[in-house]
Amino acid sequence: MAEQKTELRGGNDGWAGERGDFANLSEADVRGESYVGVRPLEGRAAGGACSYPYQLAEKHPDAPLFEGPYHERLEKIRSRYPDAQGALLPVLNLAQEIHGWLSQADMDRVAEELGLSPVYVRGVATFYTMYNKAPVGTWLVQVCTNVCCNLCGADEVMKAFLEHTGTEPGETTADGAFTCIEAECLGACGFPTVVQVNERYFENVTPDDVPAILERLRREAPKQER
Amino acid sequence: MANEQTDSVTCRINGIEVTVPKGTRIIEAAEQAGIGIAHYCYHPGLSAPAMCRMCLVEVEGAPKLQPACVTTVAEGNNILTESERALESRKGTLEFYLINHPLDCPVCDKSGECRLQDFVHAEGPKHGRLLDAKVIFGQDDFGGNILYDGDRCIMCTRCVRFMREVAKDDLLGVVQRGHRSVIDTFFEQGLDDSPFHTNIIDICPVGALLDKDFLHKARVWDLDHTPSICPNCSQGCNIRIDTRDNIVQRLRPRANPDVNSYWMCDYGRHQYEWMNASDRIEAPLVRAGDRLVAQNWQPTILALLEQLKQRAGSVRVVGSPMQSNEDNGLLARLGSVLGATTPVYRSTRAADEVVLPGFPKLARRRELAANGRGLEALGFDRVGDDRGQGGVTATDVLIVLGDELADLPADFGRDASLFVYLGHRLQPAARNAHFVLPVSTFAEQEGTFTNFEGRVQRFWPALQPPPLARPAWQVLGVLLAGLDDGPAPADAANAFLRVGSHFDTFAGLTYEMIGTRGALLNEPVAIGAGGGD
Amino acid sequence: MAYPFKHERETRVLTEAFGDPAARTIEGWKKYGGYEALRQALGMSPNDVIEVVKASGLRGRGGAGFPTGVKWSFMPKDDSRQPHYLLINADESEPGAFKDRELLRWTPHQVIEGALIGAHAIRAKHVYIYMRGEFFEPAQIVGRAIEEAYEAGIAGADMMGSGIGIDITLHIGAGAYICGEETGLMNSLEGRRGQPRIKPPFPAVMGAFSRPTTINNVETVSAVPHILRRGPEWYKSMGTEKSPGTKLFNVSGHVVRRGNYELPLGFPLKDLIYDVCGGIRDGRELKAVIPGGSSVPILAAKECDIALDYESVAAAGSMLGTASVIVMDDRTDIIRAVRRMVEFYSHESCGQCTPCREGTEWTAKIMRRIEAGEGTVEDLDTLLDVGRNMTGTTICVLSDSCAAPVASSIAKFRDEYMARMRREAPIDALTV
Repeated sequence: MAEQKTELRGGNDGWAGERGDFANLSEADVRGESYVGVRPLEGRAAGGACSYPYQLAEKHPDAPLFEGPYHERLEKIRSRYPDAQGALLPVLNLAQEIHGWLSQADMDRVAEELGLSPVYVRGVATFYTMYNKAPVGTWLVQVCTNVCCNLCGADEVMKAFLEHTGTEPGETTADGAFTCIEAECLGACGFPTVVQVNERYFENVTPDDVPAILERLRREAPKQER
Repeated sequence: MANEQTDSVTCRINGIEVTVPKGTRIIEAAEQAGIGIAHYCYHPGLSAPAMCRMCLVEVEGAPKLQPACVTTVAEGNNILTESERALESRKGTLEFYLINHPLDCPVCDKSGECRLQDFVHAEGPKHGRLLDAKVIFGQDDFGGNILYDGDRCIMCTRCVRFMREVAKDDLLGVVQRGHRSVIDTFFEQGLDDSPFHTNIIDICPVGALLDKDFLHKARVWDLDHTPSICPNCSQGCNIRIDTRDNIVQRLRPRANPDVNSYWMCDYGRHQYEWMNASDRIEAPLVRAGDRLVAQNWQPTILALLEQLKQRAGSVRVVGSPMQSNEDNGLLARLGSVLGATTPVYRSTRAADEVVLPGFPKLARRRELAANGRGLEALGFDRVGDDRGQGGVTATDVLIVLGDELADLPADFGRDASLFVYLGHRLQPAARNAHFVLPVSTFAEQEGTFTNFEGRVQRFWPALQPPPLARPAWQVLGVLLAGLDDGPAPADAANAFLRVGSHFDTFAGLTYEMIGTRGALLNEPVAIGAGGGD
Repeated sequence: MAYPFKHERETRVLTEAFGDPAARTIEGWKKYGGYEALRQALGMSPNDVIEVVKASGLRGRGGAGFPTGVKWSFMPKDDSRQPHYLLINADESEPGAFKDRELLRWTPHQVIEGALIGAHAIRAKHVYIYMRGEFFEPAQIVGRAIEEAYEAGIAGADMMGSGIGIDITLHIGAGAYICGEETGLMNSLEGRRGQPRIKPPFPAVMGAFSRPTTINNVETVSAVPHILRRGPEWYKSMGTEKSPGTKLFNVSGHVVRRGNYELPLGFPLKDLIYDVCGGIRDGRELKAVIPGGSSVPILAAKECDIALDYESVAAAGSMLGTASVIVMDDRTDIIRAVRRMVEFYSHESCGQCTPCREGTEWTAKIMRRIEAGEGTVEDLDTLLDVGRNMTGTTICVLSDSCAAPVASSIAKFRDEYMARMRREAPIDALTV
């Protein structure tokens, strides 16, 4: 795999996650033996891995929700909160992890599972940005264009992504590979421009880096039935 | 003023001193002092989220303006609702409401009773400063009786909270976030099956939620408003009948904390077209052979009195739970004077009652008429089935008030020696009557109903009856006078007193005592029993 | 030059272990004195722990700067209203702030230790770490650290053999800046829309799940183990009298060396920019600095000769906030920067309160128009007036935060706005 590191304007070398290497680092590279590099299918013990709003590359929009290991995780999540309503956000994360987005049927199912009204679940799901209310591509490219990254050329990076994927913001490419959107501050302002692709951060991204990033993502994409 | 009790506080609002129980909110204390504070999201029947920011008032000593709907009064507070800061805040907030609000007043049903219009007219900015495009949402059919206009919505969330807290039927919610937020249902799921949902159009301060039934029907300022009682079941919700050109345009609830709080059911609200029926009996009719001939009242009454004095055979009296206590009371008295058997009535009853979960005193009761309990208190027996049919057989002398006899065969009463029908519309069975006397419906006269728990409540006339129709109590009072049973009552109040003089259950009550809130009958009331069972 | 770049003028307390991947394990953390403080705290009474933190003068690092020990003392001192909750606010979404992410990624056990000490101090049996949904890698790292802590008997029932039991749950958010507001966070934790609540009632009386709750920032709790271990007097020996201790300054924008630098409070802003961060990039001149994240007023270059502590920055007309220093050089289009900030607030407004819901988007529309060269002088007056109506009138301060950069930029860079105006002379709007 080609070396990604270029001269960084911020003056800081990349570390795990900054150049998108996070998922590919071995556990020894990062720390100890038991670093969780892939999503934990089982919820493990105490609060460690309830559920994350994963935007998995591999999506199963028709898979049954909350069966098998997912049912166990649902129960583990439920046990961490004093009432069923408290578990709503993690359970929505779980549903999105499996399907890739939250459809009307998903919201209805979650409502039923937790004993809430469907319109309430809809209200919560539409409040938060990270719940996809429509299907997205294999890779959801979120470019931070907020002020700190903006001062350092974020608009150009966004334009580069749109140009190289040939899409409008929010539109998915014809082959279903990429959806590019603008994101608000991703909390890594010292390393502009920050781009989040599914669950990875790419930091210190310049417009020149964009083709290489897209190429690499294409290579990593799982084969999806279309 | 010294507070001996530790559970009351004294404060000043706009210079007026007021003492209230501890825990009273500023907006409630101000109401007691006669000061209204402009508000949207607050409603006394719902929770208070303090999010519309209209009710911000100045409290001396606090650096920021305080929301009056949630801030409790503290001892010695000096509260100013009309200070410069408070006025500026309201003006600024009203401007924020207006910037995305469409200029729909010419086509909006709410115009004339719109709180945004009212407050902006009183205190709002005179000119708009928005030079950019407004945010657009469009209209949505929420199912049931409701049309929603997202552009007009001011996001006070009263409708969401009503459905959640009072109707306990969580069907509405806020979706999206920020300036894109809007009220919606769960996709295509609508409000259809929720029996109290139409109350949200009353509490919506603007024209965002509209009753499809009233859509583009009448301008609010053309309407006359008359306080009344809903006739459609025995709950006795206090209502307001809104009419224009002598036609009922809509019914609205009137607040009564003992009966219906601020609400009414959808069934009752929309059952008013019958009051507008135009196929009325126009004049007193007297049988001449096969025909009914129209006559003036005086000769009709004289002829009827003759017949009554010469009567022979058994006498039966049939009343109606859609007629007032005064009407039915004097009918029962007439029956008694004539030696009738126990008076009877018929009524429709639904399979079950539909309770409003957030205010369980209010339910759409099983008996779908207003005055069944009143009739029982006057000694009537209920006959017939739950469809309001059967139970009535013809006798020699038959006097029927109000009951349309719609289920009875066309030859019913043909063999009676004297058949008197006091009613509104001429049903086939009633055509066999010897005397057909036009009387007013409850909506056309003053009177009282007795609801399921024995509460006597007054209503006032909202419509003009046909010119020759008279209140039944007036006709019956004259007949009683002709039978030497006391002078005819001159007005409804006296008719009511007359009823109280003959029936102990109503004794001691007067219209003054009943007022606009109602009064319980003298007999002990078991709430929960009766009520249509 | 490896990240994290260490500058010689830094006082590394919280950031000492940055750059050492082993510090993510318990063994590695113990080499930095980890979990000694927790053991010590578990042997103290909750009130005594509160007194130590009070004595240190530690102030909340999430932006408000409220003394932490005092905040903890608001909680009930007995068990009559259990369960109590400690919520760790790891929903770092303020533009310019990236310190919490580093603390979570490099020193998860520092955060966990501080949280457990804090939970013990407020008699909480349950800690929720509310982490924003975008922080997948920190979530993985912290999640694993929590599991490790449970396995080692540090968290969970009978912690370190003390008989005290405290649970930790990692709760992941789903993308909303407003959930970083403490009452919005509580609502989000409860599975609701993350809309802030009215106060009173205050969280210490009625908070998450209607129970007494304290919410602390990640950096705040990260300081607690050090204060316990080395004593409040040591902590007060750094920083200033009213702003003791060290602070992670997250510097972004047009400096040569962006990043996190842990410095004692009261450090001069000019030194931070020109010495620690290597000065302005490409040899440009300083134009403006936002000292505390995008919600605070902008300081023009000539106002930047100040010390970085809560009092001094306030005296200069801004706020220290999260100490997220955004540096802008003379090529910066201030109007564009402000427009983007206002758009951020408009996007993130929860929509409850009318001034914020309508005012943020209105402000954004006007700013877009001004940026495109279609603005007028009346727009400036409108912006200021609208900003005034948005300040102090809402349940939370998001609308105040939207108004602050607008008002301060108009006040200090009026020439730049005027140069963009369509026409200079006011017109009579009614004649249009």
